[in-house]
Amino acid sequence: MVGALPLMVSASQSRGSKRRSALWRLLAAAPPLVFLGVFFAWPVSAILLRGLRPHGSWNFAVFGEVFSDPSMRRVLWFTLWESIASTVLCVIVALPAAAMFARFRFKGKRVLWSALLVPFVLPTVVVAVSMLGVIGGGGLTGVNLNGTVWAILIAHVFFNYAVVVRTVGATWSTIDPRLEESARTLGAPSWRVFRDITWPLIRSSVAAAASIVFLFSFTSFGIVLILGGISHRTLEVEIYDQTAKFLHLDIAAVLAIVQLVVVVVILMWFGRSQRRRSVLLEQRSASETERSTETSRQRWLIRSNILFMAVLFGVPLGLLVVRSFSTPNGWGFGFYQALTDTRGGSTSFVPPIDAVGNSLLFALLATAIALVLGLCAAWAIVGDGSKNSSIFSRWTDTALMIPLGTSAVTVGFGFLIVFDEPPLNLRSSLWLIPIAHAIVALPFVVRLLVPGLRSIDPRLREAASMLGASPRRVWWTIDVPIVGRALAAAAGFAFAVSLGEFGATAFLARPDRPTMPIAIYRALGRPGDYNFGQAMAMSTILMVLTIVVVTVIDRFRPAGVSEF
Amino acid sequence: MKRWFAVAALALVVLAGACGSSGSSSKPAATIAPVLVNGALPRFDTPVTLRVMTHDSFAVTQSVLDEFEAATNVKVELIASGDAVAMTNAAILTAGNPVADVIFGFDENLLGSVLESNLLQAYTPQRLSTVDKSYVLDASGMATPIDHGDVCVNFDRAAFTNSANQIPTSFDGLIQSPVTNKFVVEDPSTSTPGLAFMLATIAKFGGGDDTSANAKWLSYWKQLKANGVSVVDSWETAYYGSFSGGSGKGDHPLVVSYASSPPAEVADTSLAADESPTGVITETCYQQTEFAGILRGAANPRAAATFLEFMLGGSFQADVPGQMYVYPVVMGTPLPDTFAKYTAPVTNPLTLPYTDVAAHRDRWIAQWSALFR
Repeated sequence: MVGALPLMVSASQSRGSKRRSALWRLLAAAPPLVFLGVFFAWPVSAILLRGLRPHGSWNFAVFGEVFSDPSMRRVLWFTLWESIASTVLCVIVALPAAAMFARFRFKGKRVLWSALLVPFVLPTVVVAVSMLGVIGGGGLTGVNLNGTVWAILIAHVFFNYAVVVRTVGATWSTIDPRLEESARTLGAPSWRVFRDITWPLIRSSVAAAASIVFLFSFTSFGIVLILGGISHRTLEVEIYDQTAKFLHLDIAAVLAIVQLVVVVVILMWFGRSQRRRSVLLEQRSASETERSTETSRQRWLIRSNILFMAVLFGVPLGLLVVRSFSTPNGWGFGFYQALTDTRGGSTSFVPPIDAVGNSLLFALLATAIALVLGLCAAWAIVGDGSKNSSIFSRWTDTALMIPLGTSAVTVGFGFLIVFDEPPLNLRSSLWLIPIAHAIVALPFVVRLLVPGLRSIDPRLREAASMLGASPRRVWWTIDVPIVGRALAAAAGFAFAVSLGEFGATAFLARPDRPTMPIAIYRALGRPGDYNFGQAMAMSTILMVLTIVVVTVIDRFRPAGVSEF
Repeated sequence: MKRWFAVAALALVVLAGACGSSGSSSKPAATIAPVLVNGALPRFDTPVTLRVMTHDSFAVTQSVLDEFEAATNVKVELIASGDAVAMTNAAILTAGNPVADVIFGFDENLLGSVLESNLLQAYTPQRLSTVDKSYVLDASGMATPIDHGDVCVNFDRAAFTNSANQIPTSFDGLIQSPVTNKFVVEDPSTSTPGLAFMLATIAKFGGGDDTSANAKWLSYWKQLKANGVSVVDSWETAYYGSFSGGSGKGDHPLVVSYASSPPAEVADTSLAADESPTGVITETCYQQTEFAGILRGAANPRAAATFLEFMLGGSFQADVPGQMYVYPVVMGTPLPDTFAKYTAPVTNPLTLPYTDVAAHRDRWIAQWSALFR
């Protein structure tokens, strides 16, 4: 499918026919939209209907019941302000790091860039237990934030930092630093350079990242349950309880619709600020834009960023690694050796190490699905800049993001009632796992690809074909180098999303094919040093694996990028 | 271009086909004849695949399952569906057109909703006669007891060393000053052991019919609250995050866990039973029985009945403690050594009639939540 892209692109450009290009775009948008229609919209609307139209007649009275319930209103208000606060906080603390990665050369940069994704993939319960060891009172710091909204905010920053740093950092690194340098030479103070030069250029990627952080915080589940104590509840928690615990599908449906409406409104708002971009700018490759540090202020920027990351990530994750080596018989690899133990050959103790293979396989499939569909979607969204195309883009973009703002339990229970007949009797099919992961990964892929595609100046392609380049050659020398970097970043994100996905997998995984987060969760569900240690060892392996895989993908640069 | 059309068209056709064929028929469930042949499991002439829906803590030794498959020609496919509550609700949602043939792992607190929602078809295993009668709660033959355990308060032995600070032995001990800020429980609305402990207080102190905020059992919770009890979402957070005993990493020496947790904390089996790192306050124990049943609309009801008989057979029953930290229900089943040595016998666990739980559970949780949220 990827191979079809150059033909499409060049066909639409060289003939220059607006109508024809609109048709192409529609066709490109079809696979991702059909995919989402079948695997998301259909199950979700089925479960909502089951709640609102239980015996063939509509039950709208439940809306009134829910909205007049003060505890529900409290939940909604808390969810809203908690997610806005998390998003603002996350963007503020992550922007300096994005600048650091975009602008400077320093030791260990590549590994750190990849390692950023580690928090993003770790199962919530593992991180939360580690965090309790740091800020749970009686822990390393002696500070007790357990049950406060601060614990929730810190954890949200912990999980979403990478989203902002990597999304904004990638865009920032393609901006020609000479723009900023000339402004400075002309006497502008740093804050003005940032406000007038840099900010307009990175704004759309900040909006893209912020909307994802918002969605994750808005639908936060595990963090709120574990660190927020029992008085803090989000809409997501309430939806889970009403669906899976009480089977009050009517109340759950109302809450899910509220969640959907808020998510769409917020996404449209973010979408608007994303489109307000300024100029088509020639992109630079990262190696051209990074500088070695010169002034002490620059060195201070790097040091303080690294210190911040060391505290936020190093301490809780370090504690986790330390615990994975701290066996009852002293320091050692005991828990790691135990991972290969079949433990009397139990069905649920398929050697936990097998989960590594399962996770990699599912992640590979999910990444492939997400990249193919993501490329189609991104290309359709970029469009030709006409008014019709921008309305179309806005809706496609929003549609792709909606799954991130929907509760896994709504989708999971929806699967149960729609995929129950041939030819789609998929309820116990292993295919649902990579499919579910791809749905979650798709918005990341699209958000990383769109800015890249959008920044391609059509005149570049026109010039190339005018000079006699074949369509394939135009694609290879113009599109690939520009999109390639975004594609590599997108693959990394998709892979990481799949490795770490838990909510949907918990409903879909079969006991004989657990993924790593499932295996970790399983071990943590049983008492004893042996089980706890295995969970920590498995988490450490998941961390290392993430770093390795993402480093490899980050290193992969399509040929020709250096000529660009 | 053709490729795109093909993909889109195919997807639409599949979608339309799937939509068109929905709407399941609910056939009446035929009675299942006893399956045992001279007391042994039957062998199927042609290979059969049996799907078993379980909660995600289900475990059985592979060789035990292999023996079953070899003996009966039935291939078992396990489907994990979240915790016991989520699994049961998923089954209720798909009643009549089930994901599996057998469901295992709903407890007496879910039994009421299971029976109400016409989820199962009856089969009374021939081997039910070997089961301790106190666990047979459902006379209609829908739900077969498979294992039982107890939810009890566990203590960290190392935290109670001197005479001024002795291990509490009763509910009353948990509201006294020596254990102020030292007890952690799970939220009954989100956690199964949390719910069991709340039910234990209702069974102990009464007042389950009282809908006011002054119900007797709630007065006990007010005292617990005044004594600084902390409430967390799940067993994992309570045991590993807050409990100080054994493998726990927190600073609370008292936690709501299971009667079978202490053996898991014993690394050195030469320890005497009263030296194990953690122990159980037996007065606080609440009985929990896990059931299995045949789902209405099962593709293979006879194979499902065979699996129920297998779960009440000697090899599965003996395997249950080591794999799932619970006790067998069949009388006379031998226990593993560490289990026998390090679990305190729970002679008279607290219980409530499952019909009461089904009728009042949501209100009790609401009353509890009003006090704590």
